[in-house]
Amino acid sequence: MENGTNTQGEGKDPSGFLSDIIGNPVTVKLNSGVVYKGELQSVDGYMNIALEKTEEYVNGVKRRTYGDAFVRGNNVMYISADS
Amino acid sequence: MLFFSFFKTLIDHEVTVELKNDIQIRGTLKSVDQYLNIKLDDIQVVEEIKYPHLSSVKNVFIRGSVVRYVHLPAAAVDVPLLEDATRREAAQQAGKGK
Amino acid sequence: MAGGEEGPAGGSVSEPLDLVRLLLDEVVFVKLRGDRELKGRLHAYDSHMNLVLGDVVETIYTVDEDDDDEEIRTTTKKSEMLFVRGDSVVLVSPQNSS
Repeated sequence: MENGTNTQGEGKDPSGFLSDIIGNPVTVKLNSGVVYKGELQSVDGYMNIALEKTEEYVNGVKRRTYGDAFVRGNNVMYISADS
Repeated sequence: MLFFSFFKTLIDHEVTVELKNDIQIRGTLKSVDQYLNIKLDDIQVVEEIKYPHLSSVKNVFIRGSVVRYVHLPAAAVDVPLLEDATRREAAQQAGKGK
Repeated sequence: MAGGEEGPAGGSVSEPLDLVRLLLDEVVFVKLRGDRELKGRLHAYDSHMNLVLGDVVETIYTVDEDDDDEEIRTTTKKSEMLFVRGDSVVLVSPQNSS
């Protein structure tokens, strides 16, 4: 990892992008269509995700909040940095 | 290996396996393998009226991947032992998903 | 794979499974595929998210289509000790947080 700057860099691999956005607010969309918005605590190689201060949206409507949430990687469609 | 070992401790106990197609089968756990495939003896289908096609079956081999739940006899589970085994497995597995 | 994040040493969360490790012997909320939710005490888990939960309440959401009305019906079931196969798991969270 030679890229020390925090620009969400082009030319880096996808896992480099993920490690760059640790600690930032993210949107996670699942294959089911459910969306989670929260602070990205960690990700692993299976795309398992730990989120903090998470809001759950079903059909765009807020359904629940979680202090911490583990999301199993196989359900994940994408992870997007909010800022 | 944690759950494989765990299920082996439950052999000869009565369990109810709930499948992903909602069928529930109660029976005596006779064997389990590393994929958590399960063999049950002396089976009985819960809500037999709804699922009559298994009424003459005495024992089944269930592919692990079609299982949703296994309802376990709580008295047969040593909870502190299971939690300790989980911590050991977690320590062993740490970092593997990276 | 080069792990980018280091995470402070100690009991903090540096990979997602660490979050689940901290929930062992705690009451957790589990969201499953097929509009099902569980609340129960976490006694075991592995890296597939296979789980054993104690004193479980399961809530199932089904759509009741009476005439043209679509009503969401909730069914709850209890189980004293339940194995959950990991491939049905979507989300695990401490119960006190929601």
